[in-house]
Amino acid sequence: MPKVLRSNKGTEECLLELLRFLLESGKVSGVFALRKVGESGGVAYSLITDPDTLKEALPLFPLMPANAAKVLSRLTLVEPANQPIAAVVRPCELRALTELIKRSQGSLDNLLLISSTCGGAYPLKTAVNGNIEEKLPAYWEAVKKAEIPPDIRPACAACEHFVPYNADMTVALVGNKDVDKQCLIHLNNDKAEQFASGMAGELIGGEIDSEIIESLRSKRQARGKELFDELGVSEGFDVRKFFDKCIGCRGCSKICPVCYCHVCFFDSGGDEHEPSYYETELERNGYGQVLPAPIFYQLVRLFHVSLSCVECGLCADVCPVDIPLWAVAIKTAGSVQESFDYLPGRDLEEELPVTAFKPEEFAAVVD
Amino acid sequence: MVSTVKGALFPAEGGVRERILAFLQKAISQGCFDAVLIPVRAPGTDSFTYSLVRGESLLENAYPLPPVMSVQGAKAVSSLTGHGKGKKKIAAIVRPCEARATAELFKLGQVDLENIFLISLDCPGALPLADWAKDPQKTEEAFTEILKGKASESLRPVCRICDRFSATGAEDLHIGTLGAEKGGILLIPHSPKGEGILDCLGLTTEADISAWDAAVNSLTGQRKEQRQKFMEEFKSKTAGLDNLLDTFSQCINCHNCMRVCPICYCRQCFFDSDNMKFAFADYLNRAEMAGGLRLPPETLLFHIGRMLHMSLSCVSCGACEDACPTAIPVAQVFSLVGGQNQEEFDYVPGRSRDEPPPLRVYEEDEFEEVEQSCAGASAQQEAPNA
Repeated sequence: MPKVLRSNKGTEECLLELLRFLLESGKVSGVFALRKVGESGGVAYSLITDPDTLKEALPLFPLMPANAAKVLSRLTLVEPANQPIAAVVRPCELRALTELIKRSQGSLDNLLLISSTCGGAYPLKTAVNGNIEEKLPAYWEAVKKAEIPPDIRPACAACEHFVPYNADMTVALVGNKDVDKQCLIHLNNDKAEQFASGMAGELIGGEIDSEIIESLRSKRQARGKELFDELGVSEGFDVRKFFDKCIGCRGCSKICPVCYCHVCFFDSGGDEHEPSYYETELERNGYGQVLPAPIFYQLVRLFHVSLSCVECGLCADVCPVDIPLWAVAIKTAGSVQESFDYLPGRDLEEELPVTAFKPEEFAAVVD
Repeated sequence: MVSTVKGALFPAEGGVRERILAFLQKAISQGCFDAVLIPVRAPGTDSFTYSLVRGESLLENAYPLPPVMSVQGAKAVSSLTGHGKGKKKIAAIVRPCEARATAELFKLGQVDLENIFLISLDCPGALPLADWAKDPQKTEEAFTEILKGKASESLRPVCRICDRFSATGAEDLHIGTLGAEKGGILLIPHSPKGEGILDCLGLTTEADISAWDAAVNSLTGQRKEQRQKFMEEFKSKTAGLDNLLDTFSQCINCHNCMRVCPICYCRQCFFDSDNMKFAFADYLNRAEMAGGLRLPPETLLFHIGRMLHMSLSCVSCGACEDACPTAIPVAQVFSLVGGQNQEEFDYVPGRSRDEPPPLRVYEEDEFEEVEQSCAGASAQQEAPNA
């Protein structure tokens, strides 16, 4: 019977207590979690080593200033963690981390992975405007009822993978109607039980209520369909119309957790041309587009990331001209992944389709 | 404005756009240049991209003054000529800050201007990209009013305080439209190449430019005052380490500001390089020193590093701020610091193509006060009890 750590405290308070316990008992040397920064309402990930500093942590704050996978990859790229670290991350961040590990861009060694059934995150701009605080009560009400909180990012509103894969511990949020007075932390494996042992609270049996999860999943599926219809994103849609506003800042690639190239082709000079290239275009077409040239860039990026895209939506969040990149990503990545029966981040042992050779695959293409 | 400035009147009818396009079209048909590098509206979209055009597509789709600066013009010139000069003679139509950035890139060896005619225009400013992304049509309507001469609070903050919105000295030819009569545009040459265009069109520099000159001077005065006032206030909000940290607290490390900056000249940014990838133990040590380490690390260091690289050449074009997803007033900070640094060296980026960047020039007798304070500090170190 899977175990659950239960206590009669608010979930965030109880999670912070667990993190403090882990830190103070020396079971971990650091905690990786969101933390308040500055006075204007922002949060950023932090590696926290001092229990006092932990007071500033907001591990369940509904904002995603970075995809944690990208940051954890950076921390463990040169060498694995040499001390145990507890990391509190969202399900999509955990999936992205799994994909990066498959691509040898980080290590899970010494990481205790704590995730949650995720209610979603607000657009970054919500925090900028300073009005995220006033949204929080409605957010937690919706999470309790397993509904979609108002104004969350469209990528989150349409996300069906809000239950984490491969988490050592899972904090129950979605549908936990007593989220502010009862805390349920699922201990998914022996490792989690060992880390949690000695922590105040009772150990009970139990599993995440699949009925509640399914009810939210179907709400999100329906919302996703609505959002796609609004944008006119359907089978065989023309991605080009989304890219015409692109200014070429490539923020979407810089923050993408699975944009894995060591040096981006578009930073390498690979897409630069001699003047004769543009002059030939001018002769041939009557005009020669110089900058930005988003179609080539966006298509190459989709080509690279679509197998591992976890639909975290950060690309759309950082776009200065509000291109609905999340929808493009979900539609294109979704169909690529489906054709390989591959779900990124589901299982570390599941080989990346492009690295696994199957003689019998895509017979139609071979013919 | 110096009184020796001379200009020619190119007679044309219509709005600013039509008059400028008429000039460009005429110049191409007379063989003054072969094509134009100019913001072009992609047919059927709201968007503007720098493109090489001539003929019909020039007249139909080119917008010498689009409502937004979706790409900084200097970046377009460097994309076109970064690998050397082409065979064709190209007129690049850019805003004054774009012309100045182009001149800076010229000094850095990142553009080839031999076959480029750099042509700048009187600039009414640009509107924030975020507003345009939300509602392109409304933004364009607002801009049409601005083009007619209406002052507007909806312009980007750095545009509202820009005092270099007209001829700057970096261009071959400047197009004057401020205060000019509706019957044409003023063509003000700043180089033999610019004069060549007038010769080619059979124009002489005998136009009366006093109305334009007066309008430019008057607005420059106003803007200088606004800039000073704004900067004093802005400085009080951003000065000091705490304010600086707070100003950049929402930075998510996307580097959009660096990618869209026309000046940021490194082929690979140091902050994207392996130099900034450390072993886990290093991060943990740094976290232990302060109780916690913000991640990704080096967000503020990135901005300071960038500032150190490009602030002497910063033309306050505002592209960085436009591209920031968390609305950090990054262009305002860079304009403040850049302006102060430039003043120290009596350097105006893009004022002249021949003026070398200050860091490339050795002057024996410069910054003596810094030398003295350094000498004082080292003397103290040697004799700590003194």
